[in-house]
Amino acid sequence: MTAGLLAVACGGSAAPATGTKKYVVGVSNTLTGNGFREEMICSIKAQAKASGIVSKVVVANRTTDPSGQIADVRNLISAGVNVIVMNPSDRSALDAVIKQATDKGIVVVTVDQGVTSTTAYQLYNNQVKYAQLGADWLFKQLGSKGNVVEMRGINGVSADADRHQGFLATLAKYPNIKVVKETFTNWSLDPAAQQIKDILGSGLKVDGIWTSGIDSTVVDQYVTAKKPFVPVVGADNNAFIGQLANLKSQGLAGAAVTNPATVGGAGLALGLDVLQGKTEPHLVNLDPIIWDNQSSTGLTELQNHYDTKLDAYYGVSFQVAPWTTYTKADLIACADV
Amino acid sequence: MSAAATAGRPPGGPRFGRLLRRNAWTLGTYALFVAVMIFTISIHPDYGPFEVQSLVVGALPLAFAAVAQTCVVLGGGIDLSIGAMMAVANVLAARYMLGHDFQTALLISVAVLFGGTLAGALNGLIALRTKVPDIVVTLAMSFVWGGVALLILPKPGGGAPDKFGELASGSLFTPWIPNGILLLVGVVALVWIPLRFRGLGLALYAIGSDRTAAFRRGVRVGPTRVFSDALGGFLAACGGLALLMSTGIGSPLAGTIYTLSGVSAIVLGGVSLAGGRGGVTGPIVAAFVLTLVPADLILSGTDPNLGQVIQGVLIVLVVMAGGLAPLLRRRAPRTTDETGVAAA
Repeated sequence: MTAGLLAVACGGSAAPATGTKKYVVGVSNTLTGNGFREEMICSIKAQAKASGIVSKVVVANRTTDPSGQIADVRNLISAGVNVIVMNPSDRSALDAVIKQATDKGIVVVTVDQGVTSTTAYQLYNNQVKYAQLGADWLFKQLGSKGNVVEMRGINGVSADADRHQGFLATLAKYPNIKVVKETFTNWSLDPAAQQIKDILGSGLKVDGIWTSGIDSTVVDQYVTAKKPFVPVVGADNNAFIGQLANLKSQGLAGAAVTNPATVGGAGLALGLDVLQGKTEPHLVNLDPIIWDNQSSTGLTELQNHYDTKLDAYYGVSFQVAPWTTYTKADLIACADV
Repeated sequence: MSAAATAGRPPGGPRFGRLLRRNAWTLGTYALFVAVMIFTISIHPDYGPFEVQSLVVGALPLAFAAVAQTCVVLGGGIDLSIGAMMAVANVLAARYMLGHDFQTALLISVAVLFGGTLAGALNGLIALRTKVPDIVVTLAMSFVWGGVALLILPKPGGGAPDKFGELASGSLFTPWIPNGILLLVGVVALVWIPLRFRGLGLALYAIGSDRTAAFRRGVRVGPTRVFSDALGGFLAACGGLALLMSTGIGSPLAGTIYTLSGVSAIVLGGVSLAGGRGGVTGPIVAAFVLTLVPADLILSGTDPNLGQVIQGVLIVLVVMAGGLAPLLRRRAPRTTDETGVAAA
């Protein structure tokens, strides 16, 4: 009985596969154990499933450097993929291997970060604007004067460099805002927690904190230390969104700037469009949005996006309009084709 | 009984048997490489020049890192700053080669290699003069060089002439033999062959096996240690340049993973971490194995998170198998007297 059902189920799903599911998707990622990157890969799988024209997703996922990513991309080429979605570990080191892929008729889409290659399609969040939106909100919230902490990401990475550039550009417009401390969190929780503990312990006067996305950890430290909150800027991470919505009554002011991890799925949608003969621009810059808990529209967005069932650092920008077409359930389940 | 006796005495006589037993591990690494290669071709039937080029370009930095670590470990030391020295060589070369022609790039390479040699020698000198264990000295130096790399290039940048990249990815004769493999064999032969047949090479192995005994036999321990560290620095710089060849760009964070993956390669390649035992071909072949495994995982569609596990298990299994060999050797004299004498 069970065997019969299984046979029917298998037959049912295999039948259309031969006719329409014709594309193999390659994914290259070089940072493992990171919530953002895992969600990015899941969004690619979910979009592959939703598209109905992908037969297989081949994932090259390990912590490595540009040289390792070049090797991975070459292996994806060898594996016979039709489209490669990658989060580039370097702005220009991958240009040569991208050209090798596109010369073979493979569509290459870089997501999350940019590359200098002219043959790749690129879809990523405008990171300069990401920093500007958050910093501008923070400095206005502080009444254009005060001491702020800038908690950056990984030194030497292009997204971090872009955000720092945006932060400095906004800072230049506020002469009475002073950066009293600049740290690198490496986009990891432990260093960020330690840095905040050090700052709280040092007695340094801090009026506001800008973070490059390690946000709820900062708020947690203030809660633990029983210190009055200062305005905090972070990203669209689930726990932080929840804190902004729920701790407002206890005096937490803050804003979340969107940086969708689901750019992966959007990148695949773009790549599949190109494979099917549609013309798409080579550069798609996503405009970040800011949700602050001081305005009523911002607060509504925060409350709408918060999901108690998700992990602390799960990105709550579940879709990237107009690209992604999967269901939220498929994304969270990381459903493969 | 007679079966045991013939097993202890291989057909080529005691000399051949000794050669075989001495190089058992290296031969095992070759066999592992062949096995992985056969597996690769079985899951990817159109294995061709493009894939060979991928393999060589991908393995080149790791192969140099492994040989660098081999030189240090054979002398009884360890160098945890190899990855960071690679990063410095990489960003230095990328910064100064940008916009220059091939000849200038070669001159810069020579300067970088010289700098790498000095950096390696510095490790040795500090450890020798201060009597601080070299694991501590080189760990500290890895932070120093890591910082220096970020000072030279705060973020990925610089560049190299295309022809410089072709030193690894191009092919002089046939697409089946990328230049990278010729480069690797050339550089290692240049360093290794003169060493192997001179007193200095013997001294290196001697201080690695037993420093006190070597000293009593008149080996100049200090200079030999500094020499082995300098050689490590030179080869680490080669690795940094190889990274530049593969990416065409300088990256301050690129080298860091090669310290530990280099150690994996030498362990897999049969170099004893206690020093004095092992060769240079084992680690090189191991570097190729460690580059092939992730490629196979991609080609076979295995869950990439399993990749780390598989690599780790592979290393443990090989080291366990390698540990069996000396055990068997020790037991051998009890069953057969003749070969036991020959081996001793």
